[in-house]
Parts: sequence; C-alpha cells; structure tokens
Amino acid sequence: MARPRVEPVAILAAGAVTPLGPDVDAFWSGLVTGADGISRIERFPVDDLRVGRGGEIKKLRAARRDAPRRGCRATQLLLAAAEDLLARVAPGVAPVRLGVVLGTALGGVEELERALGPDGRLRHAAGGLYDAPAHALARRLDARGPVLTVSTACASGATALGVGADLLRAGAVDAVVAGGYDTLCRFVMRGFDALRSLTRDRIRPFDRRRSGLLLGEGAALVLMTRERDARSPRLGRLLGHASTSDGTHVAAPDPHGRGLELALRAALAESGVAPADVDFVSTHGTGTQLNDRVETEVLKRVLGRRAGEVPVNSIKSGLGHTMGAAAALEAIMCLLASREGVVPATLGLEERDPACDLDCVAGAPRPVRPGVSVSTSLGFGGCNAALVLEGVSS
Amino acid sequence: MSALAAPARPTAVATGTRVAAVGLLTGWGEGPDALPADAMRAAAGRDVITLAPPALRSERFRRATRECLLGVAAVEALLRAAALGRDDVRGSETALVYVTTAAYGASNVAFVEATAGGTLHFPYTAPSAVPAEVAIEFGLTGPYLILLGGPAAAIDALWQATRLLEGRGCERVLVLAVETFAECEGLWLRGRRLVRGPLVEAAACALLVPGGFAATYTAPAEPAPLETLARRRAGETLACGPLVALALSGQMRARGPLALSGRWRGRRAGLAWTAA
Repeated sequence: MARPRVEPVAILAAGAVTPLGPDVDAFWSGLVTGADGISRIERFPVDDLRVGRGGEIKKLRAARRDAPRRGCRATQLLLAAAEDLLARVAPGVAPVRLGVVLGTALGGVEELERALGPDGRLRHAAGGLYDAPAHALARRLDARGPVLTVSTACASGATALGVGADLLRAGAVDAVVAGGYDTLCRFVMRGFDALRSLTRDRIRPFDRRRSGLLLGEGAALVLMTRERDARSPRLGRLLGHASTSDGTHVAAPDPHGRGLELALRAALAESGVAPADVDFVSTHGTGTQLNDRVETEVLKRVLGRRAGEVPVNSIKSGLGHTMGAAAALEAIMCLLASREGVVPATLGLEERDPACDLDCVAGAPRPVRPGVSVSTSLGFGGCNAALVLEGVSS
Repeated sequence: MSALAAPARPTAVATGTRVAAVGLLTGWGEGPDALPADAMRAAAGRDVITLAPPALRSERFRRATRECLLGVAAVEALLRAAALGRDDVRGSETALVYVTTAAYGASNVAFVEATAGGTLHFPYTAPSAVPAEVAIEFGLTGPYLILLGGPAAAIDALWQATRLLEGRGCERVLVLAVETFAECEGLWLRGRRLVRGPLVEAAACALLVPGGFAATYTAPAEPAPLETLARRRAGETLACGPLVALALSGQMRARGPLALSGRWRGRRAGLAWTAA
C-alpha cells in the first residue's frame, strides 16, 4: 500500500547517560575518540557467568535536590538523562500538552527480582512493571499528557521516537520527550549468558572474527515538537519511521531480513526520501554472525549499487548493546554526526568480513557531514524498526 | 458487531476506520455472552479468575508460555467472530499492535526463580514473545507495535491502530491484549493500590479496518459508560478492558458514536469514533 509522506518532526535537543559518560557531550566525545566503555561488571555478582563484562555505568551524577531520591536503577538512569536534556532545553509547553514515550526491553525488571527476594516490598512489585520508569520520568518532567511505554525489545528506542512523532502529528501533544533506556542487571546477563550470545572477545561488528555481543546500559532522551512549532536551536528532524514484524522466530532475526527490509523501505517512503538520497546508515551492528550478515544483505537490496558507497557504522562496540536505549542513542549519534561533520568509527572492526562488504567506517572517524541518515534496529520477537533522520550543520 | 464479508482491500483512500469484530476470551468463558452481570458477585470471594490455556498441539508451541498460547487463541476467536480464515490476515498488509500490563510477569518470575525452561526460556521473558508467537502462527509481517501499561495503554493501542490505517500503513490492524494473573497472584495482591479485584484473566483481539468513522484521541476526566460496564461485568482485566468494552458494544449492537476510555496510574485515555 502506498504510504503518504508525513510531516517531519523537529528534534530540539538530546540528553543521555551512557558508559562513555554522564551526558551527551561525553557520549559524543567518547565516540569520536574511540573510548571503550566496556569493563568488568561491579554492581552485581557475575562470577558464575561465562562473561562478566559489559557497558556498565560506574557512577551516576547526584540527582537534583528536588528530584525523587528513591527509584530503581532504570528510573535513576532516566532521571540522569532528563537532567542532561533539561540543561539544554526546556519543554516550553503546558504540562497537559507534554507527552512521554519511552522504549525499553526490560523496564524495571530488577525490581521484580527484589520483590521476589526476602526483603521484597510493595514498591518493588509495582516497580517491576515495565511501564513504571516512564511514569517516574513523567512525574519528574511534570508531563501530564500521554505516557507510553513501547517494548519492541532492542528496537524499542526507535519505535518510541516514531510513536512520539505520531503523537505530535496527530495534535495529541505539543511536545514529546521520547527515547529509550535499559539497565544491566543479573536477569538480563543471566539470559544472554545462557543463550551463549555474549562474546569473550570484544564486540567486532562486521569483522570476520566477530563472535557475539556484550550488553550495556544507558538512557537517551530527545525533546521533539512539530516542525512548524520548532524553536531554535534544534538538533535535526525525524523524517519518518516504520516498525515491522518478521513472523519467523521468537529469538532470531529472519535470516533473509525481509522484515527489516520492509521497515526500511516503509520508513523511506514515509519520509519522501529515495534510497539514492541516503548519506549514512547507523546499523544495529551487534557483532553477531547472523545480525551483521542480514543487515548487510538488506542494505544492499535497498540501497542498490550505492550500498558500497554509503558510510555505515555501529557504535555498540564501545557502549555494549544498550537494548532499549540503543536506537535512541544511535539516532542522537546520527544527528551529532551531521552537526559536527564527522562519523564515528566502528571499534573492533579490523578484519572486514567479505560477506559484510559495506563501506564501514573503521579505524578512525571519517570527516563527512551526512544530510539524511538512516538508523536500523532489530530485536527479540522479530521486531524491526527504521528511522530516517536529517541533521543540521553546526 | 458486524463481521467482515471479505478481506478488506480498499479501492480508494481510506476515510476513517471501524472496528470490524472482536474475539474475546476471559476467565468467564468465550465472548461477551459469557460475562456475568456482576463480576464481583460472580467471583464469590475469589481473587483471580483464571483462563485455561488452549490445547494447541503444534510441535512449534512446545516451549511457548501460557500467555503466548492465549494470544494465539484470542486471534483464533477473532477469526471465528469475523468469519475470516487465516489467509485473510496473513502477510504484510496486516498490522499487529499488542498491549499488556504484565502478561510477561509469569515468565519473568519463572526465570528469576529458575523454575522454567532454562536457557531457552529467556526469550519468552520479553513482552515481545506473545506477539512474536502470534505473528509466526498467523504469518503477520506488517507494521508492529507493542505497548505496555494498563487500560490506558490499550486505548493508546487502538488509537495507534487508527493512525496506521489512516496513514495507509496497512489494510487492517489486529489489536491484541493478553493479561494473566495466576502465576503472580501474590505480587498482584500486594499491589492492591494499583488494581481492584476480582482479577480476571483475559485475551482479546479486535480487528480494525478502514471505515466510515473518525477516531478522536482524548483525555476524558470521567469514564465512558462502556468502561464502567466492562469493569462491572468482566472484573479487572487491565489492558483487555477496552477490548471487553468493544465486545460489549457489539453485543448491544451499538450504532452511532462509540466512546471508550481506560485509566491507569492516574491517567485516563479516551478514544471516540464518530461518523466521518
């Protein structure tokens, strides 16, 4: 079915907390300097796991004096990202016209573990519901419009930005704080460790020797408004998005990437952007054998002969796979690449896999200024998502 | 509620949407006719009214959780209600929007307590496992969204369905909701400030297609009459509540404007369909 082009949505500013540092500036400088946020996990026991490393945030900035002092780690990450965002821009709309849309794969699941423990309390049980952190953030922001939690697994951050844009286009709100988050906890480390998805090496997206992923934690938020209501300064625009289902497997992507291809083509169509106009692709790039090969094949089908000329990267090597935060962080990276005129390199990519013959930025950041960027995401349950973004130069 | 006579493939630009059919399974039975007049009285002091998993014999379901099986059963119930076959919904022109408050809770508790499945159980702890199994079973490869929250999130899901249709992202949308309580009964009973009993397990699926009604997304202060009715007759079904309300509106053969609402964590969302 032919999709009509939609109104772009303005992204005014971003806030983040990542293993690379406490704000967007540290995130960006870490990306361009090749900083490695992977370390031995210290916050909970990992001695019984095959792999005990990840992108753990070692220290969170102290919350503002009037911020809630309690709350699970997911909420703490979100509040830290919100502090960074609010330091850059104020929502500037009435509370009832401010919405919150967050993506997460795990929500506050660590609270569920606590609730089931010997000292479990009611607040732990309530916090174990995956939508609890979004409501905690809404309270901090005094947002009284719609508060939505999206959980399309590791594509959640992308879908959240898309749903936030939908709320704006429909006139349901005048501003949206959208993004994603997830935490490192024993629950998720146990799960991925048991699946043998974690590598004992470093993450090597698109590398011949790639052997799996490492997990990370973080939170990333953007403030979005309708294009016509946008105030300066702005970071860029979300031109379109799409999310699709593979319908093939609960835990693995479709080996042919048909769902991802459909999402990518639909997002481009919604944006009114031709494949020939794509300047840069931020891949999901987990460093697993299947993911990187599937993404390569999809990009070659969609971009055609230009696939080998369009720079692509993956930033998961230095952060770990931050799950619900990943796509939101990658969207912010795309916009910062446009603003700063440089595309961060893919850490860990040293021996290119002939089966992943894309123009992968490796070794050092590349001095290019993408206009239109595409960000791709995949997740458990056959979730696929694609964002089409347009940056502004500094 | 009228059933679709044939797969909807509009020949012109869609103007508005409509709910074509609802499949409803609750702890009380299948369909709105199975609902008691007063759920509180019918519960007779029981805290949770459970919904037995369907007997799906496929080898593919050997690891699937109860909530996954209920999701599949809800879509089967919808197809029966709409007199549709599986081929009528298969493919990329059918979107799937899934909503739950905590149907993932049972799998998460099992994983935390290491009582289920081990390695291969972990993917089923994700909320995306239920719609994944449904998408695989029915071959759904269109637009995809998963929202978490209570009844308000179900209203958000229905609204997103109308947006997908109006934006021509697909030809039809399945809005699926599943809620289970039995495995986490102790946790729910500790959370009485969030929910009121009786907790009634449910799985429901609504089919939305292009139609003659304009959907308006609202934030009403008061519950719509259908919200109150669904709560009284079905009990606490959380995200399934608005779909119970839709099923009841079909049972009453409601004509004209249709207003739904749902409240969760202090926020009430509303959706009203009026003639376009």
